[in-house]
Amino acid sequence: MASEVKVSSPNGEYTLVNIWVITLALKLLLAVGYHSTDFDVHRNWLAITNKLPLSKWYFEDTSQWTLDYPPFFAYFEWALSQLVPSIVKEDGCLDIVSRGQYGLPTIYFQRFTVILSEIVLFWALHWYMQTSKTNDRATFSRSYVVAASLVLSPGLLIIDHIHFQYNGMMYGFLVLMINNARLKNYLWCGFWFALLICFKHIYLYLAPAVFVFLLRSYCLNLKYNKKVNVLINLIRFVRWKNLIKLGLVVIAVFAVAFGPFYDQLPQLFSRLFPFSRGLTHAYWAPNVWAIYSFLDRVLIQVYRNLTLSRYPLQQIFEFNPDLLKDESLIQTSTRGIVGDIEFLILPTITPKLTFYLTLFYQILALLPLFYQPTFRRFIGALTLCGYSSFLFGWHVHEKAILLVIFPISFLVSRDRLLLGPFNLLVSCGYVSLFPLIFTSIEWPIKVVYTVLWYIIFYFNFRKVVSIPKVLEGNILDRVIHGYILGLIPLVAVTTLMDIFENKFEILKRLEFLKLMFYSVYCGIGIISSFNGFSSYYFIYDSLWIDD
Amino acid sequence: MARGGKKKSATSRKVNSQSATVVKPKQQQSIFKKSPVHDLLHNFQRVPDQWAGRYVLVMSAVILRAAIGLGGFSGYNVPPVFGDFEAQRHWMELTIHLPVSEWYFFDLTYWGLDYPPLTAYHSYILGKIGSFIEASWFTLNESRGIEIDGIKFYMRFTSIVSELIFYIPAVLSIANSMGKKFNLSRMDQIIISLIIINQPHLILIDHGHFQFNSVMLGLFLYSLIELIKKNYMMASVWFIACINFKQMGLYYSTFIFVFILSQLKSFQELILVGFTVILTQLVILLPFIGDRNNLIQIVTRVFPFHRGLFEDKVANFWCTTNVIVKYRELIDLQNLSKISLAATILAFTPINLMLFFKLRNSKHLTRGLIYGFAGNSLAFYLFSFQVHEKSILIPLIPATLILLIDPTQIDIIQWVNNVGTFSLYPLLKKDDLVLQYAVSNFLINWLIGPKLLLSNQNLLWSIIIKGTYLLMIICHILDYAIIPPARYPDIWVVFNIGISFLGFSLFFLWLNYKVYKLKVE
Repeated sequence: MASEVKVSSPNGEYTLVNIWVITLALKLLLAVGYHSTDFDVHRNWLAITNKLPLSKWYFEDTSQWTLDYPPFFAYFEWALSQLVPSIVKEDGCLDIVSRGQYGLPTIYFQRFTVILSEIVLFWALHWYMQTSKTNDRATFSRSYVVAASLVLSPGLLIIDHIHFQYNGMMYGFLVLMINNARLKNYLWCGFWFALLICFKHIYLYLAPAVFVFLLRSYCLNLKYNKKVNVLINLIRFVRWKNLIKLGLVVIAVFAVAFGPFYDQLPQLFSRLFPFSRGLTHAYWAPNVWAIYSFLDRVLIQVYRNLTLSRYPLQQIFEFNPDLLKDESLIQTSTRGIVGDIEFLILPTITPKLTFYLTLFYQILALLPLFYQPTFRRFIGALTLCGYSSFLFGWHVHEKAILLVIFPISFLVSRDRLLLGPFNLLVSCGYVSLFPLIFTSIEWPIKVVYTVLWYIIFYFNFRKVVSIPKVLEGNILDRVIHGYILGLIPLVAVTTLMDIFENKFEILKRLEFLKLMFYSVYCGIGIISSFNGFSSYYFIYDSLWIDD
Repeated sequence: MARGGKKKSATSRKVNSQSATVVKPKQQQSIFKKSPVHDLLHNFQRVPDQWAGRYVLVMSAVILRAAIGLGGFSGYNVPPVFGDFEAQRHWMELTIHLPVSEWYFFDLTYWGLDYPPLTAYHSYILGKIGSFIEASWFTLNESRGIEIDGIKFYMRFTSIVSELIFYIPAVLSIANSMGKKFNLSRMDQIIISLIIINQPHLILIDHGHFQFNSVMLGLFLYSLIELIKKNYMMASVWFIACINFKQMGLYYSTFIFVFILSQLKSFQELILVGFTVILTQLVILLPFIGDRNNLIQIVTRVFPFHRGLFEDKVANFWCTTNVIVKYRELIDLQNLSKISLAATILAFTPINLMLFFKLRNSKHLTRGLIYGFAGNSLAFYLFSFQVHEKSILIPLIPATLILLIDPTQIDIIQWVNNVGTFSLYPLLKKDDLVLQYAVSNFLINWLIGPKLLLSNQNLLWSIIIKGTYLLMIICHILDYAIIPPARYPDIWVVFNIGISFLGFSLFFLWLNYKVYKLKVE
């Protein structure tokens, strides 16, 4: 393999600079296109942090887009707001108003900040590649493919550069954390992760894996020394020096972030963790609850149309049949409007239940990590933490799929076996982002870009992965390919439904059906990829040993 | 992938890479080795991956076009007349609602149809499809000036699909056939196709400003492919289709005439080709035949001699020297058209004479063909009557094909392409496409790499190329920073066309020199 790569690219430079410039061009062109309300959210934060004293940041609520990210992100917005040129200020960029009134200058400025902040990701991945340079050329080209696949990710393009968010920088920090873990710089690993959490708290979902990994490989010493007695062994069980060092680093980061807000922490936390939201988002993220909601809708139809089924359904689920007589309620539930009652037949899901389910699957993933604290195990656990929070979490956004895709990308080049779950995950995950951008003019960009990405990296990953250590699942591979190809009719049908929406009245009423297609089809794909990945994680120990 | 399949692919890969290494030494070392475009595509260098390289090329071209389409278009939000975007939409509207006999007569004051019949048919098909999706986009008279997202998307989509059908396959196939002739590696063919396809001028005009030039240029390229194959009847069919899509294709007509004339060996062949031409033209005009008025109307609409010597500001001889000599005040329109005709003939005669005699007894025609088309159409652009700034696309396409003959000319070819895009800047600025202009220009030049762009060893050329780039930058800075004085509101535009005219003239001379030096055996 290594020699082949050498033959084919004697002068191959393998740098991300070229990729950065290419995508820079595309991102600049996208700047004038569609952006979501998240744009106004971030503009409002620029205004709040610029115009108000720090003590009022988390209290301000003129706009409904209140500041609900942790302090580092607020500092970041403050720093950006210092750079706002006067022409952008006049454009209304820094006005605290309920709904932003802004024009092109503000759009250019904010788009530009996203593009610039994404350099963190490029730099982090560049460093990852540099530290992968060994005598073995294959390892290096593998790291190049991984890095390129991440910086070119359609997810980042859609979410950051069309929809508008700052994920590129966030995932840059995550990559820094991951690479420090790989290089066994545990203190830096802790530092970057603490920093990341203080930027955006969604990464708390990954915290269990990081915690166990750092604890086990840096702070604990599980060797039993027979020469000394039990007590000393117990004391030496913990590497106190390391524990204190790591603790100090993490506490220092949190202190810098939250210190200035010491007297308003309850208010801050109530902003960060709003539990008033519903189980599913207006558009269902493709997870377990999407399938669950879908089942509920199916059962409603069964109940209403099949008189025979009424009694057994009633006996099994013990729901309130009066609700099903209320036509308006059924209307809202089939249209996907999130009301007070989300499920009419199936039992209601509480936040607690989702929390326990997430925790259960995370702990399951952490056990092998505790016994085998290798880097690969760590990334595997990180991936599974992402999976379980995405699949079982409360009010999950479809954007959170990147939490899974980023860590898993560092693993796939390890073994061909993992390519199956990976392909299923990225294809279903990225396609499930399509409804996020609903404007027709961006349609060719999001679709063609995603297909292009998939083709490039489907072949490149296959080219660089090492030969499987365990041979199995050939038929399974075909099923996966078939399922991925099924996304083509899915996108085609939903697009046609969009196109002919004005022509046929009925399609307008089926608006929700379209989103349901997406989330159910992609949901099944992602759940299957979770099952595939988990089985490899728990069954094949040899996959998870470091080189 | 099944286990057996995997084995198979592994062995075939081995065989292929071996054969690739065997073939390689024959071909010249790629000059693109050091440029970023090679770095980006080198993953697709191996033989089994080359097909993927082509897909990457086509799909990234689509993405670039779609992204540029997010910007403004000609006449956006300028009622009551709007611009080319509205013209194209209006033609779709009128062709689907009116009988063929009224197409060229309908409300001539509001974007009356003034392109040849194939454009009308093209509009008809697109209009039919569009009104099937959403009839309100094309309601007769009521849809004028419609600018909602839906129609915007549909129009952008049609221009991308038209280019995907007509232009891009033509470029790929001509790169393939010429690549074999001139011994270019597959990788170089892909890179050169990418450079041809992603030239900003065509993208900005077709997918920004909004027109369907790519269809006409694609039809021309198909004709060129047939000419290379020496299949003159097929070439005539394509060429007649080309000029029946857009009359600007006539810029190529003198040379195709000279060329075919130089190649015909017998009177019989001449009759066959002539018959093909007439038959094709008749078929295209079929719906109009029988109505003499209609035919006359088409001709007067398509060739509007009353419009004047040039429109807006064009970097050709007449408009540039107009700064000093006010032709339109000195000479009347009738005589001006005669003078410009004489000047055009004078300009293209040397190239045609040289090529006629050089190609007559030769078997290697391709070089002469490309130089001839570039030289002739550039002569038309520089000296003929009623030239648009957009007409520069016509000479630039064959000029860019010179890369397939000799990739080392990339410095001069990309230079003239840059001048061409630069000459369109005043138009693009009006259409609110400055961002798109800057980005697409930057992209193509960066892909090729400054090292290659400034690599010319000849002192004179090196000065010309660097000097032009410097002047272009200065012009942009002036245009951005200083508001022109009230007396000369167009001063930066005049500066722009001055630079462009200089560039085009030098390139024209270079083409003549190249043809003079051309060795045909």
